[in-house]
Amino acid sequence: MRMPAHPKTVTAKQLALVSTLVFSQIAVISPSAIAQEANKANVQSSSSFLKLIETLRDNKTLTEAQYQALKQHATVEEKSHTDSAANNTSDDDVDSRINDDIDNNVELALETEGGVKLATYDGQYAFELSGRLMYDLTVFNEDLNAIGNGANLRRAYLGVEGKIDYDWGYELTIDFADGDADIKDAYISYLGKSDWLFKFGNAKEPFGLSELTSSKYSTFIERPMVTEFAPGRNLGVHASTYQQNWAFSASVTADAWDDETDDEGDDGWGFTTRAVYSPWHTDTQSLHLASAWSYRETNDENTVKFDTRPETKSTDIKFLNTGKIRDVSNITRLGFESAWVSGPLSLQGEYMMAELAGDQITDLSFDGWYVMASWMLTGESRDYKFKKGAFGRIKPHSSSGAWELAVRFSELDLNDHQVAGGNSQISTIGVNWYLNERIRAMLNYALVNNDRNADDDGSVLSNDNPQFTQLRLQMDF
Amino acid sequence: MLRVLILVTCFVVPEVFAKPFVIGKVSDNPTKHYSYLKPMADYLAKNLAEFGYTEGKVLMAKNNRQMIRYLKQQKIDLVTETIFSSVIFKDKAKAELLLKKWKKGQRDYESIIFVRKDSGINSIDDFKGNVIAFEDPGSTSAFFVPAAILLKAGLSLERLDSPRDRPSDNNLGYIFSNEEINTATWVHKNLVQIGALNDHDWHKDDHLPRSYLDDFKIIIKSPRIPRAVEVVRPGMSHALKNKIKSLLLNIHKVPEAQSILRSYQQTKKFEEFGDSMEATITYAREVVALLNAELN
Repeated sequence: MRMPAHPKTVTAKQLALVSTLVFSQIAVISPSAIAQEANKANVQSSSSFLKLIETLRDNKTLTEAQYQALKQHATVEEKSHTDSAANNTSDDDVDSRINDDIDNNVELALETEGGVKLATYDGQYAFELSGRLMYDLTVFNEDLNAIGNGANLRRAYLGVEGKIDYDWGYELTIDFADGDADIKDAYISYLGKSDWLFKFGNAKEPFGLSELTSSKYSTFIERPMVTEFAPGRNLGVHASTYQQNWAFSASVTADAWDDETDDEGDDGWGFTTRAVYSPWHTDTQSLHLASAWSYRETNDENTVKFDTRPETKSTDIKFLNTGKIRDVSNITRLGFESAWVSGPLSLQGEYMMAELAGDQITDLSFDGWYVMASWMLTGESRDYKFKKGAFGRIKPHSSSGAWELAVRFSELDLNDHQVAGGNSQISTIGVNWYLNERIRAMLNYALVNNDRNADDDGSVLSNDNPQFTQLRLQMDF
Repeated sequence: MLRVLILVTCFVVPEVFAKPFVIGKVSDNPTKHYSYLKPMADYLAKNLAEFGYTEGKVLMAKNNRQMIRYLKQQKIDLVTETIFSSVIFKDKAKAELLLKKWKKGQRDYESIIFVRKDSGINSIDDFKGNVIAFEDPGSTSAFFVPAAILLKAGLSLERLDSPRDRPSDNNLGYIFSNEEINTATWVHKNLVQIGALNDHDWHKDDHLPRSYLDDFKIIIKSPRIPRAVEVVRPGMSHALKNKIKSLLLNIHKVPEAQSILRSYQQTKKFEEFGDSMEATITYAREVVALLNAELN
């Protein structure tokens, strides 16, 4: 279509056209290397240029002779660029039938394994909806105290996580198991070019192999008692990095999001750091060695309490219970971790201690440990995630699933000086059936051996030695 | 004067604004592959500043067809892929194979087709009426290459739903085991008669237990095939190509780039094709043509 001949008038379209050309080709002096890489822009701009000179001719700005000369020049240029770009326009393959408008729309990779994962193909945005459900049945063989058998929904997580503008991310996970909303991970993350991942918000402090291994992947139904010493999730800044054989993480945190004053004394502020060394870590062979250290100033109440159930959440009795220890100004925690995986066999152990100090009290020291062994009867290997320094998902080799046999011995000692929180030893044997990657059934049988101080701060009989059988059905998506 | 300026600038070299160096890959998991590729894109962009590149970017294609289009449109500068996809990009988009990539530390591999020693199968001529286990439909070494060998030998492949299904007498049945260990176990337990693995898995205990190995014999091995390949877009200048090649060939000697290599699919180093390029391309082209003709 020809433009109306108004030589003194420049339309908005003409202005836009001129502006585009000027701003896209404003380079006056460029290295030859840039010139050689300019083909694709030139191919596009040549056609724009032809439109421009046509318009200028129509507007009587150019004579016909000038127009023809410029057109010939531009045509030669275009041909040259087109040839060098090897644009393959003669190729009769599918490309000619593809609607290029597709590229101008947002395309998403959609994936589901029960949940939903969405991502843009340039990696700029991603979104994931996930969750987990754990249903437990527990039968006690009581000794001295009455402990009711029970069934409970141990976890009912729903979570979203995603990525925004390449380097920023977020995660928000909520546990609805108790009928209310219990915030778990809730943070904004940033992965810059410095190889450090930063999390701002509520996340786990880097302390303890068992604590940092997701409950989805724990070998036993509950974590060992000693994880009572792990600081767990708190609000703050969390940073982590790794190289070929080592990983390092640290956090500076304030209160827990819900600010429960009886929650392990996790108030005030704290600094926690963890270093992991793994000389080898392949799909089936790995060695994990780690140490973590944590220091926390308590809040104005200056109280700390350690208490824990006997490795089952199906009872409210916390045989080990220090009660509120007053006048504590700080807690120092120390942890050592090791794990070894060789094909279907694995061994794992941890030792943790917590020291309480204050001007008005004698320093107190509590500790605990566990060892465990696992044998994947169907030949799989426990999945060691070196970057996280934790274990991941078991993927059954067979469509009929995978079987695992595991044993654990754990001990926690909360007796020191005037504090008689109790000592407990628990031996557990477990069988896990991984129906597939995301569904598993777990069966644990545990023998509990409590000492004379293990009386839940005086509320139950001590020296109680119950046994229990626990069954879990678990799914994550 | 303005008109003159406009016309002059029209012929002057463009492209001085922000220009990304883009690495691409065919992917069904863009989030995961973005983190693999971005550090390398940044590294190359930084070292290619003289060519006008100012930042590294990643663009994934959902399939080969889309990647071909991206290459033709020059939206992607460098693609990291298998030799077979690379040859498709070369033929369809006039992309150029640049270097071999030692992905996961492996320079190349060969596919192995094996049976039990007591199976009575001694050559490919005995395969008809039996069942072979491949790993999965996306596996280059444990599906594409062995399947092409079988097709080239004139066998007709029949997809089965279960290892217990039987093919017709004139066909070779095939089934996907999903894991290397399953392939080995199914053959060892005689659930299927033939298995296909690559030589790295053949020597891995957890993919093929030692106790099985003594009971197996190898019937066919494929030629050795590059583990992965770097491809550049059509129309790239020699100067830029040579610079990229030089950067990649030397990156394993750069201490601060080691984490980039690890991230880039655990690459150990890059290597020139040398004289083997034409033979490799011809073989890969043959495999692609056979699979397109027979299995699609």
